[in-house]
Amino acid sequence: MKQKFAWMLTPLLALCISFSYAQEKTVSGNVTDQSNVPLPGVSVVVVGTTNGTQTDFDGNYTIMVNQGDVLRFTYVGQKTVTRTVGAGNVINVQMEDDAQALEEVVVTGYTSQRRSDVTGSVVQVDAEKLSEIIAPSVDQALQGNVAGLAMSATSGTPGSVSNVRIRGISSITAGNEPLYVINGVPVGNDNVGASSAYSSLSPLAALDNNNIKSITVLKDASATAQYGARGSNGVILITTKSGKAGETKFSINSSYGFQRDAITGPVPLTAAQRLELGGEALYNDGDAATKQDGINQLLATSYADWDAAGRPEPHWDRAVRNDAAPVQQHSISAAGGGDDHTFFGSIGYMKQEGTVKGPSFERISGSINFTKNLTPSLKFTSNNQGSYSTQNAFLETSAYFESPRSAKYFMSPLYMPYNEDGSYNLFSGSLPNPLYLLDNNIYENRLTRVISNNALNWDLGKGLSYGSVFNVDYQGYNYRNYSNRVYGYGAANSGDAEQYDRTNAFYVFQNYFDYSWDVNDDHRLDFKVLQEYQSNRRYFVGGYGQNFADDGLYYLDSVGTPSGVSSSFYDYYIAAYMGLVKYSAFGGKYVLDLSYRREGNSRFSKDNRWGNFWSVGAAWNLQKENFLADSDVVNNLKLRASYGVTGNANISANQYQSLFGYSADYNGEGAQYVGSFGNEDLSWETSNTLDVGVDFGLFNNVVSGSAGYYHRTSKDLLLDVPLSLTTGFGSQYQNIGELTNKGIEVELNFNIVNTEDVQFSLGGNFATVDNEVTELPLDPNGIERTITTSTTRIETGHSVREWYMPTWAGVNPDTGNEEWYINGVDGATTTNFNEAEAVFQGANAVPTFTAGLNFNFKYKNFFINANGYYAGGNKVYEGWHLYLNQPNGYSVFSYNGYTSLLDRWQEPGDIARNGKFTGGATGWQRHSKYLYDGDFFRLRALTVGFDLPSKAVERIGVDKLRFFVRGNNLFTWVKDDNLLYDPEVDVDSQGGDVTPGETGLETPPSRTIAIGVNLNF
Amino acid sequence: MKTNKILVLSFAVMAMVMTSCSTEDLEPTLAQSKDVEGSITKVDNLYSVLKGAHNVLTDEEYYGRDIIANNEVRSDNCFANGSSGRFTTNAQFTYNSNTGYIWDDVYEMMANLNIIINTDLSTLEGDLDYGAHIQGQALILRALGNYDLLRSYGQQHAGGTLGVPIVTTFKGEDLFPSRSSVEDVKQAIYTDLETAFGMMDSSYDTDKTLVSKYVAKALESRVAVYFGDWPRAVTASEAVIGSGLYSVIDAGSYVSSWSGDGGSNVLFELAFSATDNLSSNSLAYIYRYPEDEPGGYGDVQVMDDVVDIYDAGDVRLDILGYQDGGTVLRNMGKYPETPNGTDNIPLFRYEEVILNYAEALLETGGDALTEINKITSNRNAAPYASVTKEDILNERRKELIFEGFRFDDLMRTGQSVDAVGLTQNVIQTLTYPNNLFAWPIPLAEMNANSNMVQNEGY
Repeated sequence: MKQKFAWMLTPLLALCISFSYAQEKTVSGNVTDQSNVPLPGVSVVVVGTTNGTQTDFDGNYTIMVNQGDVLRFTYVGQKTVTRTVGAGNVINVQMEDDAQALEEVVVTGYTSQRRSDVTGSVVQVDAEKLSEIIAPSVDQALQGNVAGLAMSATSGTPGSVSNVRIRGISSITAGNEPLYVINGVPVGNDNVGASSAYSSLSPLAALDNNNIKSITVLKDASATAQYGARGSNGVILITTKSGKAGETKFSINSSYGFQRDAITGPVPLTAAQRLELGGEALYNDGDAATKQDGINQLLATSYADWDAAGRPEPHWDRAVRNDAAPVQQHSISAAGGGDDHTFFGSIGYMKQEGTVKGPSFERISGSINFTKNLTPSLKFTSNNQGSYSTQNAFLETSAYFESPRSAKYFMSPLYMPYNEDGSYNLFSGSLPNPLYLLDNNIYENRLTRVISNNALNWDLGKGLSYGSVFNVDYQGYNYRNYSNRVYGYGAANSGDAEQYDRTNAFYVFQNYFDYSWDVNDDHRLDFKVLQEYQSNRRYFVGGYGQNFADDGLYYLDSVGTPSGVSSSFYDYYIAAYMGLVKYSAFGGKYVLDLSYRREGNSRFSKDNRWGNFWSVGAAWNLQKENFLADSDVVNNLKLRASYGVTGNANISANQYQSLFGYSADYNGEGAQYVGSFGNEDLSWETSNTLDVGVDFGLFNNVVSGSAGYYHRTSKDLLLDVPLSLTTGFGSQYQNIGELTNKGIEVELNFNIVNTEDVQFSLGGNFATVDNEVTELPLDPNGIERTITTSTTRIETGHSVREWYMPTWAGVNPDTGNEEWYINGVDGATTTNFNEAEAVFQGANAVPTFTAGLNFNFKYKNFFINANGYYAGGNKVYEGWHLYLNQPNGYSVFSYNGYTSLLDRWQEPGDIARNGKFTGGATGWQRHSKYLYDGDFFRLRALTVGFDLPSKAVERIGVDKLRFFVRGNNLFTWVKDDNLLYDPEVDVDSQGGDVTPGETGLETPPSRTIAIGVNLNF
Repeated sequence: MKTNKILVLSFAVMAMVMTSCSTEDLEPTLAQSKDVEGSITKVDNLYSVLKGAHNVLTDEEYYGRDIIANNEVRSDNCFANGSSGRFTTNAQFTYNSNTGYIWDDVYEMMANLNIIINTDLSTLEGDLDYGAHIQGQALILRALGNYDLLRSYGQQHAGGTLGVPIVTTFKGEDLFPSRSSVEDVKQAIYTDLETAFGMMDSSYDTDKTLVSKYVAKALESRVAVYFGDWPRAVTASEAVIGSGLYSVIDAGSYVSSWSGDGGSNVLFELAFSATDNLSSNSLAYIYRYPEDEPGGYGDVQVMDDVVDIYDAGDVRLDILGYQDGGTVLRNMGKYPETPNGTDNIPLFRYEEVILNYAEALLETGGDALTEINKITSNRNAAPYASVTKEDILNERRKELIFEGFRFDDLMRTGQSVDAVGLTQNVIQTLTYPNNLFAWPIPLAEMNANSNMVQNEGY
């Protein structure tokens, strides 16, 4: 590849050669607009050369030309003018407004298009909207603003990864994450965290939201097929801000706020309540004569110290809480430019603490985006973002006993967090005091991310241009962990420490030709051919050791027993050739889009490496037809349809080969083992998507919106097909299986009042997704190989991972026993769990409908914006109920339970949610009692602000000064009263570490109230 | 002018052509692994795979912890106290087909063993006699795996006849095998062990952390005792004894031998070390708290009455000890290094062979008394004047306690067992035979393989 890199640089060098040209004569002139006002900055180019200039502030230009040359005059918002140089020395030009050029331009991937030319389903979210959510990573702001986009955070811990699902689930075991593209270049966006036990860290958290101009979400095939094999799950395009010619403008954005958990969550039992339930358990089990006798027994034994100490209540939920956790972000940017260059530069800082003691996130970032016309036809662009982030993570993806969020519920209330003198109470037990550990242990993620995007674009004239792009995305990640010598899990080994370092380096090269052919004034064809190569390399090194000589030493140089080292290297490569054609006919009335992409991916064997992806899209702009041209009602009406084939190859590397692994060792020597079963036939998973829709604007856009229908069939699924474990393997990737997603998406906006003083608009979106598995592999007996867990099953005719478990029949009022339906549905019940049949429970974890609501009100200088989100139709399962929410020995003897357990059966006739308490412990029995409706509504953002009146603004010499108060997640409504945890449950398995759709002990979203200021000058 | 344009254009076209990537440019690097096909060319490669198979044995779900702890908490030796919630399901017999156990680990080991066993030695470089020895080692481990599967999932104590699938090839023809009978699996075990013994040369056995020639006979005697094949148990035990390679450890060294590696009584032990251990998932960590007061896991607690099974002065009493201020009876002596579990775990001790031999002699009318007193005389315990079946079972319990034998002894003698709760309370008594005495086939297996038959009651 080295040689190739050299060749890739060649065109760049070639374009940098300074050109010499013959100078025959000087032509000068003046350029004005329709109303004869001089136009500064008009580009004047000799067609077919790099010779060109720009008009000055008075609209004048001078250029050396040969007779017979053609001069082209271009300016944003004006129709392009061409003039042939004759004998004269003066050419004056009057330009005409170009109505089409003033239309909104939407970034659609490798190209940008006028809104009316878009044939697919594309949603753009601008900076204003993005700023409404205060969070380290910008994707958080998408929820509720894009129809059909459902989002679930892995955790509310600052900096954590969010999982995005666009139009449901398109794959069962290959990934469902959309592709992220920054400034036209695909980037990696996987969790960078090295240890899946700890909080995740999103690479997006490395970007300062203030530098982002817009995010565009591509949903249908005509938009996503350009991204071929990675387009199936939708594409999220992030465009950064750039400068504009003119004087330098500064902008300062600052906010400071406080947070707490968005929901209260389950409340742990007090020690007194736990004592009562414990006594009752002893009585129910026949170990005490009466309930009071049971209580007395406990007071004489495990509760004796507590009793003697005056029955204190530790309230662990309050003890671990980080009250009024601060969050702040600040950024200052400067944007401007001159005749031949523009720039945007910024510096940003963000710091956010978690809502429990311990976790936090801090980032410092800078960016410089620069464009320069090296010659009038040769433009150089460089966009650079760099940041350094630190995340104090904690063990949260499971019920880790060190975690403050586990302690909140699992900790016995007989332990007090602090001693009477205020020092930490270092009690024994399997759960150590997390407060001491948070002070003395280290769990730290650090990420340095630099994205540098460099492009040259050469206008070859006659509508032809050539471009070359080189992008590097560097993610330098370092993780370190230290467990102290004194107390907790590190104490037994006199402390332990580990440190891991991972470098992700992504390179992307693109070379392309663009050609625009204006057949005549009404017909235009745009072509693009592009070649792309992406290389992704991951270098990893780490070490682990124990036994420190003293406190205050944290690094591996100081360990007595360096017990582990590891290092590894992984890579994957993607190459693609792409062609795009857009035909805009009859003045844009009809638009036809064609795309074709051939893509190769190193994840497949040589014979199956390449795949073909394509799309067709068409739009009919009815408002441009004569019969609507003068309509008072309809000002915009477009019918659009698209169909295409996209792919998905989002499986881990080297899956097609049957491989020996060498990561094993035995007795101090290296060893080998068969590490993967392999499948040489492995190839692309493909999705065929049909999308039809209508975009409309009525009454001069008082009412506007769109409505659409989509149907996506995903086939040859990259399915991790379960194998008989007797093969030595649990599963093997195969291209088998099929599923469909279909639904409708509606967006509506009402500009109810739009006067100078009062502006009031309401907007909303609504989307449905109907997901169904239609084909699965069969075994030799012709029996479908379903994929079943203790709570879900993948089977044809059902949604992916539909909940599947025995059905709870309630508590028998006579006996106090919990019962289940033997047939899983109705009729006879049983107290023997193994006798109860598991059945489908009618929904999976992914919302089947989502809705967003926007409210914007402005009166003079005051404004209120609000944004809400509704999701539902899904079900979520409660994790950890065995230990925390069941009437057994775990909740009253080993750990602690929720106050919801107080609703329990005590004597015959009682109607209760929980059965009679026992001191015993059952095994895991997962059933519908702990499966809840997932419907919820959340007020995502509410901003109340005030812009300083223009007179005052002028007096102090600034352009804009805004003060605001912003609230995030101020209100949450949950349909199911028994769902105590946050309803936004992660729908991704995070690589198998969590159960999708199950509530966990991760941080819920935070409720934030912040004040802020925007200052532009 | 024109030439410049042509120049740049041609450069651009050339760049696109030159950077155009062919299929070869998309070849992923194999930095940590190698293709299975074609990478076994030397006897050394077989040795490497064999170590990989041993490494599976050390997994916490297998001999690293679970198979031993599971059999202890289901016996009258131990119970699970719920300290970290581990093994309560096992101790209370409330497991179901979702409860993880050894099935996947054993077959993972088998996949590697079958690669060794089915390699054509004549294609390899190196000492081919050693190659044959390694194949013998692999056969022994395959027999051990089949025995472990059989005693866990077989229906012999649940009133049925089904055993487990016998898998003899990696990526073979039948990827959806059905269960063989208990009898067939037992015969397969004997066949593997006899073949192994015949092809091995004990001069290659230099390291007790690798399975060795006489382990074939020790395992054969263990399996024969389990199934009551007494004459076979006698001859297999005699083969081990006759080798003269091993001896019963003396009273003075008994306790300390557990913290040292490779004692004279050890035939085969799994290697653990300061750099290769299971730390909080180790057997030691489940048997006790790392310090005296509660902390860590320490779920597997010893039943209070176990202290009474030993005579005063018996050195094995020193294996027991107390934690949490003298209130919690513990296994303090076997696998003693607690925070990480760095002690080797013996899987075959000479003492077990002697006890197998004694029992087999008793059953076949031989001199059991001499054999059993070889144990007592080395433990400062009172010698037996006469010996009964019950004496031998008790002596086995005393000698092999915490090593995962007791549940199997209860089973093969048809005894009932108690399901014990968190506070050492008896929840219920399970009479023999019982569905719960055969583990459920994992749900994942049932779903992937419709030829598989689930055990009754799950």
